[in-house]
Amino acid sequence: MNWKHALSGIVGVVLFCAAATSALAEDVVIKVWSRADRSGPLRAGNIVAAGDTLNKMLAAAGADKRVKIELNETNAKGYDDDALDLLKAFAVDKGPDIFVLAHEWTGAFAEAGYALNLEDHIGKNPELYGDIIVPLWQAVSYKGARYGVPQDSEVRMFFLNNDKLRKLGMTDKDIAALPGKVDAGEFTAYDLCDLAGQAVQKGVVKYGILHRPNAGPDFQMMMEGFGLEPYDKAAAKLQVSKAALKDFFTWVKYCTDKKAFSATNTAMSWDAIEQASFAGEEALVFFHGVWRVTDQSKAWSLKGKDDYQRKVTWLNAPAGKKGGKPSNLSHPIAYAVSAKSKNKDLAAYLVALASQPVPNMRHAVSTNHTPINYGEQSMPEVVDKGWALVAATPMLKYASFMPNHPKIGQYNGIIFKGIQGVETGRLSAQAATDFVIDELGNELGKDVIIRN
Amino acid sequence: MPDFARAQLRRQRINFGLFLGPALALLFLFFVAPIVIDLVLAFTDMGRTLQVSKLTLENFERMFTRDSRLLGALGVTFIFVLTTLTVFNVTFALLLALVTTAVPRQLGAFFRAVWLLPRMSPSVVYALLWLWVVDPNERGLLNQIVVHVFGMPPIDLRNNHPLLVIILANGFIGASLGMLIFTSAIRSIPEHLFHAARVDGAGSLAIVRHITLPAMRWPISYMTIHQTLSLLVSFEYILLITGGGPFYDTTVFSLYAYRRAFESGEYAYGAALSLVLVAIGVVAALAMWRLMDMQKLLQPPRIEVH
Repeated sequence: MNWKHALSGIVGVVLFCAAATSALAEDVVIKVWSRADRSGPLRAGNIVAAGDTLNKMLAAAGADKRVKIELNETNAKGYDDDALDLLKAFAVDKGPDIFVLAHEWTGAFAEAGYALNLEDHIGKNPELYGDIIVPLWQAVSYKGARYGVPQDSEVRMFFLNNDKLRKLGMTDKDIAALPGKVDAGEFTAYDLCDLAGQAVQKGVVKYGILHRPNAGPDFQMMMEGFGLEPYDKAAAKLQVSKAALKDFFTWVKYCTDKKAFSATNTAMSWDAIEQASFAGEEALVFFHGVWRVTDQSKAWSLKGKDDYQRKVTWLNAPAGKKGGKPSNLSHPIAYAVSAKSKNKDLAAYLVALASQPVPNMRHAVSTNHTPINYGEQSMPEVVDKGWALVAATPMLKYASFMPNHPKIGQYNGIIFKGIQGVETGRLSAQAATDFVIDELGNELGKDVIIRN
Repeated sequence: MPDFARAQLRRQRINFGLFLGPALALLFLFFVAPIVIDLVLAFTDMGRTLQVSKLTLENFERMFTRDSRLLGALGVTFIFVLTTLTVFNVTFALLLALVTTAVPRQLGAFFRAVWLLPRMSPSVVYALLWLWVVDPNERGLLNQIVVHVFGMPPIDLRNNHPLLVIILANGFIGASLGMLIFTSAIRSIPEHLFHAARVDGAGSLAIVRHITLPAMRWPISYMTIHQTLSLLVSFEYILLITGGGPFYDTTVFSLYAYRRAFESGEYAYGAALSLVLVAIGVVAALAMWRLMDMQKLLQPPRIEVH
């Protein structure tokens, strides 16, 4: 063997080793599906950050592998539409490894075999999950097992514009007494519509109450005030009571007739609703959740708690009848890991990293969502910037979750169409009740119990 | 078989594949295949997870016995198709063709181009313009006129007269196709007939009635059938402008199938509804074919000049 042969042999070995090393250093791609949501960019962002953290650890350990997060931020109108798209993606084998979902969809994804049962993973890693606020786990449990990790939580409320209330002749004392009256059952849902309708009829505002324009969780807390319980725990089925439904739609009709609800509300875009409710100051009442404090503070240049409370009053959903209980709803968003993923464990650990107090606190504070860890509540940032969360927490006393039934999305969609029918003057209270009962029976069949 | 005959046959086959192949492939891919898939899906229970667990007749049982929205959707479809077709896609299109051919040639071409503009712009842009036109606030184009010119309170056409809005939106864009076809039909009438009529003392209206319209029978019949079928299945502007609402007020049958499939995730039921729509389309086309005696149009001419 001469030197030429030896050299070419060495070059060959070096090239082979280089190729092998580069093959070993291949990225592990983790696909993340998250609805692009201005009220929570860090839902996906914290997973990306978790990837960075993990990569630093891998580099320190001298490992060749790196995690690469591929983010798919979808533009669905709401979490229900997004979940339908995601189900389709999974059905054609294009599902992600990690996905962000509204908690009530956990059941649907678990039932379809797309959400991984995380009991084992959570059980083995108490250091990573031990601080999560215990009742929140209920929101991601289906048939006794946890299929997700809560990502945030919140409180929903009616926001009243105090300046407009003052224009209606209410004193600061009257305004300050309102939340207490709602909680005591003295100020009912009908009173709220009387107030809002009056504001429209007197020309103080253009819209009495503005609510979300699409199907979503908000309406459940309103319906609860009329005795509508959507879930029968014992039978593990959805349910609806004809009488309670009629009472609820009678109220919707009353509010529509009083001009508290607008016929155009469900045809408006979120942008138009936000513009009318915040900067435009065209609405007396805006119905959504605590994270909207961020938008309101920005729109009205409010600095801190006192400034905010001079401008806005929060109400729980008032009861349907005098003496009734108010209601509220907490609607956690959750992370889930795909049961079809090739990197289930890795994906689950990324979720665990993203759910740690510090990253979660960043989401909580920047978007006014209530934190998921006990420890976050005492963090200086939360105490300093999260005054709204602290102030809203007592309202959770009246809160419930949505049921984790696979068909709750359809149930909500049908109720929403009934509300839309009444608000736009297409349906009477009775017709809306008949419509909802008819549609629930047709679409959900045996999954819903229809009671008188 | 002699060699040259065999070669000729081969050449014919190659030509067949070459010239008809692409069209046949497209026809199969976008027409036959979807109908076959739809036909199969309609008899399954495919829901939101796209999984099929059984073959069933339930969708049809539900459609014919329990679906209380179906009649409403059929009614809306009937009004929508009939009005858009008669008022815009045929009558207004004919009027446009008559007017733009009666004015000087370049002016006519200019106006036709203007009417074609919406067809050239993307559907979403066209729909957004309509949304702005009928916006219930003072910002809407229509309301700017209503409020500032007539001093009346703003009107909300989208909520109060939603069918009118979708008929107008579809009609104004739909008329342009008829306008083109009718214009070329008018242009193909031998010029000397017009001159002869003028010499005989016919006025403009008499010329339209006795020369132009009789020559338009086939284009009008063709456009009627074509546009009926097209209106029956198209819902993009409706979806973009009203979303089928308020409530179900502008949900035509095709949009109803879409909403069931893609809003509620009941894909099999949506497929069953679409299948019925295909059947309605076929029946409507055959009936109109018969009614308008279209067979005659396709007959070979009795006299052939060689």
